[in-house]
Amino acid sequence: MTETLLRIRGLSKHFGGVIANADVDFELPAGAIASIIGPNGAGKTTFISMVSGHLKPTAGRIEFGGHDVTRLSVEKRARLGISRKFQTPSVFPNLTVWENVELAVLASRKRPADTDQRVAQVIDLVRLAEFSGYRAVSLSHGQRQWLEVGLLLGNDASLLLLDEPTAGMTAAETHATAELIRRLSRELGLSAVIIEHDIQFIRDLRAPVTVLHLGRVFAQGSFKEVSADERVRSIYLGKA
Amino acid sequence: MGSFAGVLIDATLITLVLALAATGLAVVFGLIGVVNMGHGAFLTLGAYFTWAGIQAGLPFLIAVVLSALGVGLIGLILELVLIRHFYDRPFETLLLTWGMFLVVTELIKIVFGTDFRNVPSPLPGTLSMGDIQIPAYRLAVSLFTIVLLFGLAGLLFHTSVGLRVRALVQQQESAALLGLNVERLYRQVFTLGAALAGLAGALISPMLSIDPYIGNVFLVRSFFVVTLGGLGQILGGTVVGSFIIGGSETLFALFSSQVVAQTIVFALAIVLLRFRPTGLLGSDRR
Amino acid sequence: MSMAVADGRARNRRLGEEIVAAVLFLLLTAIPVVTSGYVVYILPQYMLYGMLAMSLALLWGNVGILSFGQAAFFALGGYALGIVMKEPLAINPAYVGLLVALVSAALIAALVGWFLFSAGVRDSYFVLVTLALSIIAEQIAVSQSQWTGGWNGLFLMRMDLTLGSALTYSLTEDAPAYYAVLVVMVITYAVLRALTRSRFGKLLAGIRENELRMTSLGVSVPLCKTLAFAVSGAVASLSGALYGMHSGFVSPSLGGVQFSTEIVVWVAIAGRSSLLAALIGGITVSSISNLLSSITPQYWQLCIGILFILVIAYFRGGVAAALPSLLGRFRSHP
Repeated sequence: MTETLLRIRGLSKHFGGVIANADVDFELPAGAIASIIGPNGAGKTTFISMVSGHLKPTAGRIEFGGHDVTRLSVEKRARLGISRKFQTPSVFPNLTVWENVELAVLASRKRPADTDQRVAQVIDLVRLAEFSGYRAVSLSHGQRQWLEVGLLLGNDASLLLLDEPTAGMTAAETHATAELIRRLSRELGLSAVIIEHDIQFIRDLRAPVTVLHLGRVFAQGSFKEVSADERVRSIYLGKA
Repeated sequence: MGSFAGVLIDATLITLVLALAATGLAVVFGLIGVVNMGHGAFLTLGAYFTWAGIQAGLPFLIAVVLSALGVGLIGLILELVLIRHFYDRPFETLLLTWGMFLVVTELIKIVFGTDFRNVPSPLPGTLSMGDIQIPAYRLAVSLFTIVLLFGLAGLLFHTSVGLRVRALVQQQESAALLGLNVERLYRQVFTLGAALAGLAGALISPMLSIDPYIGNVFLVRSFFVVTLGGLGQILGGTVVGSFIIGGSETLFALFSSQVVAQTIVFALAIVLLRFRPTGLLGSDRR
Repeated sequence: MSMAVADGRARNRRLGEEIVAAVLFLLLTAIPVVTSGYVVYILPQYMLYGMLAMSLALLWGNVGILSFGQAAFFALGGYALGIVMKEPLAINPAYVGLLVALVSAALIAALVGWFLFSAGVRDSYFVLVTLALSIIAEQIAVSQSQWTGGWNGLFLMRMDLTLGSALTYSLTEDAPAYYAVLVVMVITYAVLRALTRSRFGKLLAGIRENELRMTSLGVSVPLCKTLAFAVSGAVASLSGALYGMHSGFVSPSLGGVQFSTEIVVWVAIAGRSSLLAALIGGITVSSISNLLSSITPQYWQLCIGILFILVIAYFRGGVAAALPSLLGRFRSHP
């Protein structure tokens, strides 16, 4: 029985009369990966934003590593190890890849003795070594996604919240991204919650799937179970 | 009681004159989001144009109208040459309009000199209400401000031009999609803002000694008026903001000097905005 | 291409800046040796303007915050030193005065900064508040005449450098005062440069590039901005204190909007992202201003205004950024 890293109970978010998330329960064991899917407007990004602290929940509780973090600011959560990748990659456009990762390392909660070594290691992990001296703005969209994942790694995150990490990627890049995330979990023991549209990617990830629909948890299970579920097919997979 | 009524009337007049000074800024800031640091210089320019008109023997009202038109024209030219290329970079427009302020101020110094100029008041008398003396010209300008604000409200809320401008404020992209000529609307709004600043400067000119820097203090006060009132709350916001700035300045001036009062009011405005960054009437939507 | 070349280029640029700085400082050291009179008298005041310009470049270039209130801190320093120096103190009153100038400016900047940055105010609103700060400073200087001398200003004495009771070295003569100011300027440059290249300086650059990302990396953006503003205010105040001591006089206009504007113009034209460019810009633009304003005062100010607009519209990096690329073009097309 592994320890639960993230425990969410009854999480809700209302924007005026619009219910974006309603009574969502969610659990993630330490070192595990989980994916969240759902049609547009299902409340996926709202959910991630509440976990990262960018949105304040209307109701509910978020526990991370046994601590209640529901009311903590973004930066305090980041210092606990919750780190988020945005839907549109948020990197430092005018800085080089190296400088980008260096900043994340410098900002991390426990700084390594040898910053340079750590930066090189992270850049290697996200396969950007040959682009180290390039400015982020000159990278391809897919490379920028990886760079942002690199920022989370350099920042010493223990829980990665990845909002559509493969948007704008080629099929090969998408496959490589799934590999990367699985490797990070396996070798570094990192946990990750991933929102995706790309069903191929979700299959490659081989992680438990939560389906959100109209802000509620609609189904949960392995990819096989979920994709076999007629109700899920009708709202989401059916159109694919 | 008499002095209380006196203070009240004083505060009202100051509020309205301040609202007049701030309206041009409010229009530009509120409608097209340009922080026009050149507003103060436009105001000063309006005052100097009026002075020049009077010197040339024009009647006061004609001089005022010509001043407003003249400053509006200068605003239009600056928009065409400079500002229109930078609408998508708000901080750059702030700096550019600041540069406009520098250049216009220097041009004023070259053309008009740095000596104090005075425009004789067209209505020099005072009206007596019991034992309270109300300067006639200030009263006239205040009444005009009320008319002007209602006129602008009418323009914004009851004409098709106003509808278009409001659509623009709500949703720039959709406005463009609806086939509105966004570029032209921006130009019209900026020009209107400049003309309103010129008009304010012209009307205020008989109330003070004109020097090339009179716009400075009006610039900062106007900004506080506009931001306190709340962005997008163009008319109501301007009046409320003016009342807070102008009214409290009158109040504090009772207990201390004018200078100290203004300092306190600025500090107060900073504190208020810290806790209500969207302004007093503004909603929290961002 | 790749990393090696890009790295090499960055190293070259850094080296280039170090060489320019060394040449500048040597040149300034040599001036009192080869000449005397007005130049030796007036140059320190321009160097202090240069220091003031650096205080703004630290904010604007590194963190991306523009302050129209640097003059307020400059005036604060001058008045603080002037007021303290009048007191009969056991220790050298000038030392106490300089300390008061530094600490009071840092505290005020920190208070104002934290107050605003912790609410996440927008850039343009911060500009507005700092502009108001300048107006307030000028008005306080005018109205609190029992302290400041009002419109008449405040007269200061040149200070003495003392070490206990053993050593007293007066700065009344121009050459000693020149070198004292030069030393402070060089140290300030070195300290600020080290600061921008430290971990803290890199975090500041990160905030300039992407504030949201820095927050998400666990950095307290308001705290960083506040610290930067406090350092900037302290440097501005120190230069103002020395300016008052050197020129023997401070007046309300030192804190005003006019002067604040000039500082922004120097830095914009010279190049906001380099401390050295700001330093050189402050020294040269202010000395040219002074020179030309005796010949053609109006047109010079006008030219400055037009130049400012051109820089903002077309050369964001100012002269510092335009020069190397121009030189580079010459080099590659001989």
